[in-house]
Amino acid sequence: MQETLKFDKIGEVMHKYRHGSGLNAFVITKKGYSKKYTVFATHYGSINNEFIDPYDNNTIKMPEGIAHFLEHKLFDQKEGSIIDKFSELGSSPNAYTSFNKTVYLFSCTERFDENLGLLLSFVQNPYFTELGVEKEKDIIKQEINMFRDNPGWRAFFNLLESLYVMNPVKNDIVGNHESIEKIDKEMLYKCYNIFYHPSNMVIFVIGDVDEERVFNQIESSISKKHKIGEIKRLFPEEPKEINREYIEEKMAVATPIFQMGFKDDTYNLKGEELLMREIAVKILLEIFMGRSSQLYNQLYEEGLINNTFEFNYTAEENYAYSTIGGESIEPGKVKEKIIDTVCFLLKDGINKEDFQRVKKSLYGKLIRWFNSQEKVSEMFISGYFKGINIFDYFNIYDKINLEYLNHVMKGHFNLDRFAVSVIQGI
Amino acid sequence: MVADILVAEDILKEENAERLCSFNNIEVYYIPVRKFKTITISFFFIDTLSKDTVSKNALVPAVLRRGCKSYPTMSDISLRLEELYGGSFDCGVAKKGEYHVIYFHTECIAEKYVADMKDFFKKPFELIVDIITSPVIENGIFKREYVVQEKESLKRLIERRVNDKVQYAIERCFEEMCKDEPFGIYDYGDISGLKEVSESSLYEHYKNIIDNYPLKVFVTGDVPIEKLEWIKQNLLKIRHNGEKDYNNKYNGEYFLAESNKVEEVKQVTEHMAVNQAKLSLGFRTNVLPTEKDYYPLIVFDSILGGGVYSKLFQKVREEAGLAYYIFSQLEKFKGLLLITCGIEIKDRNRAVDIILKQIDSIKSGNITQYEHESAIKSIETGISFLKDNQLKITDYYFSQILATTNDNFQTLADKIERVSIEDVINVSKKIELDTIYFLASNGQ
Repeated sequence: MQETLKFDKIGEVMHKYRHGSGLNAFVITKKGYSKKYTVFATHYGSINNEFIDPYDNNTIKMPEGIAHFLEHKLFDQKEGSIIDKFSELGSSPNAYTSFNKTVYLFSCTERFDENLGLLLSFVQNPYFTELGVEKEKDIIKQEINMFRDNPGWRAFFNLLESLYVMNPVKNDIVGNHESIEKIDKEMLYKCYNIFYHPSNMVIFVIGDVDEERVFNQIESSISKKHKIGEIKRLFPEEPKEINREYIEEKMAVATPIFQMGFKDDTYNLKGEELLMREIAVKILLEIFMGRSSQLYNQLYEEGLINNTFEFNYTAEENYAYSTIGGESIEPGKVKEKIIDTVCFLLKDGINKEDFQRVKKSLYGKLIRWFNSQEKVSEMFISGYFKGINIFDYFNIYDKINLEYLNHVMKGHFNLDRFAVSVIQGI
Repeated sequence: MVADILVAEDILKEENAERLCSFNNIEVYYIPVRKFKTITISFFFIDTLSKDTVSKNALVPAVLRRGCKSYPTMSDISLRLEELYGGSFDCGVAKKGEYHVIYFHTECIAEKYVADMKDFFKKPFELIVDIITSPVIENGIFKREYVVQEKESLKRLIERRVNDKVQYAIERCFEEMCKDEPFGIYDYGDISGLKEVSESSLYEHYKNIIDNYPLKVFVTGDVPIEKLEWIKQNLLKIRHNGEKDYNNKYNGEYFLAESNKVEEVKQVTEHMAVNQAKLSLGFRTNVLPTEKDYYPLIVFDSILGGGVYSKLFQKVREEAGLAYYIFSQLEKFKGLLLITCGIEIKDRNRAVDIILKQIDSIKSGNITQYEHESAIKSIETGISFLKDNQLKITDYYFSQILATTNDNFQTLADKIERVSIEDVINVSKKIELDTIYFLASNGQ
């Protein structure tokens, strides 16, 4: 089953194909690009440690960091590491795990079919051994140590840990030394058999490729497994309140590093509704504290922030939060000024001119993103698991008006759900 | 001086840099790449690295981006970029070997995506030229407030190097290695040098840069010839003559200078509160980018630590399980090679031992067919990937010009393809260990 989605405004076309197993595959053709970029992703990440096994209906709880551990181990195949085979083709495979997805990818210039064959094969053929699992623990512990020394990473997770009381998004994606120790071969197989079912996965290809050939190869290479029932992902109930308002950690940093943000209280949004909210909050943040805003320039001129200052908003079905981060000699003062601005705008509402200008700017940036296969791919996958088509990003801008923006503003920028995380120097 | 006549459109080759014209120590290059949705414009002013100018060079772009004649504040510039459909602007300094480059860069969507602005293409160019050539002036020099704030900001930038331990362990190893050479100077200078910069000396230096420093301008994207002509005409207004010429470093002599010789391997340990220790090993390759040996050197670097197929990744990570990350990298202009990894403190000697064994192993001829082929293919793939990013294309050609090597993507790939195992073994014999740098936690 195949269909074509066109987006004439920016001259892009996307082809879609549905495999009998329930897996969807998509191709965006990029004429003239050298790189052929492919991802094979599963809707399974660090927050999915509790679930109901669709095979026997038992409730399962796995150790933290298992999705990421599985990602590492999938590269080991019966006949050795799959990486060697990619290397022979001159391509580089890679993978990453986030809160709600695990992504396997490769980029190549030549012999695309063979590369795609390797990707499809190794992701579908786990080979876990006791010895291999034990050895990987040492490498992952070094990875954990590396992240522990990364102040930006620590500030971010400390913030999530302050915003959330129960939601597993507060836990580090890689797990910790203790949780890693608990992982064994059987657990990996169990998670694999549930979350790596083709119906829970997606393939996305972007580059100068022939979509027919790609789809034919996928048709013959994806195994037609037995259908499984819906995977029930379990989440503890999250209170509306935050866990704590302030958290501090000491590390070897020259200037204190901060992350602050608001926790949303909207849950179970999906598809267009979720995307509209995401773009609206991003527009708001840009108006509040973007490079052209009064707040940014005032903070900068007073020496309270520098150009490491940045902000973002993440919206998923089970969690949504904004982050505002950077370096400051006095994070407390930055916090005060942000709160002042938020209070002022909540009272006065958003200025129409600011709204139009920022909308235009974000729209242009979206077009620029289509230069980068990596960015398009990341946007595609995050959108796909939320039920959003990548071209919808453009159309949604027309649907957002000032009234909606003011409505979202009142919902998100709630000072009762605002937390601050600071990394102080030693 | 009158500029060259522009080349005819039909000889412009996709993804090749074509020098359109040169005048008054300015050269303008255009790289046609039609697949992108944006055009980019980059300005590179070239200096040689020295303690005298490094801080001033770093401050100039920092002050310029604070405001210009048409957009006198940073907020005004940002508002303008938003009006230009979220265009980007960036500036700063970068070290390329012992050159110090002051860069300005802007990127905007192509005119065809814009319906409500006439001559959209001219706007980002006018903005970047205004920022570079028409700063906000007070009493005949830079606005004091901007200079004071940017000096403070630069001080913090220098201090915050410690935040990124992975990068810090790379830079510090190079610095210890080249302590008495210009290359040992940090891109953004040091705090004591920064203190000495006065507002008037900074402005004087800025005038000197604009009037005399060699300037390379790069335009990429899909730009018709008459628009390139318009760019050229506008660049003619920047400068009436230009004097300063950067020394050509690639005569080979400076590599042989006394200070470059390795007499004894330096051992440096620095302490900081870290969970993971970082180990970096710095080497002299004794190979110039203009020499034939440079191509085998690239392959050597790749076999040693360029990817998952490399000896270091296989032995240190996969076999010994000592590190999560380990890689090697070349500093092309200065002829240096560096290996870096994150390990447990107790594993230091074991890691050094395994790393050095890999180099000895290559020197004694131990390279498999698989390693050789994987390395070459991986480099070729990497070269092709550069072509998919306008900034990388620009940087590639700018580096070619600086190093006086004239490889386009294809000729470089061809030369790599021809490198034999024997060539790699031969070049490996030139490589000497210079410095072992170790970043470890306090009190160990």
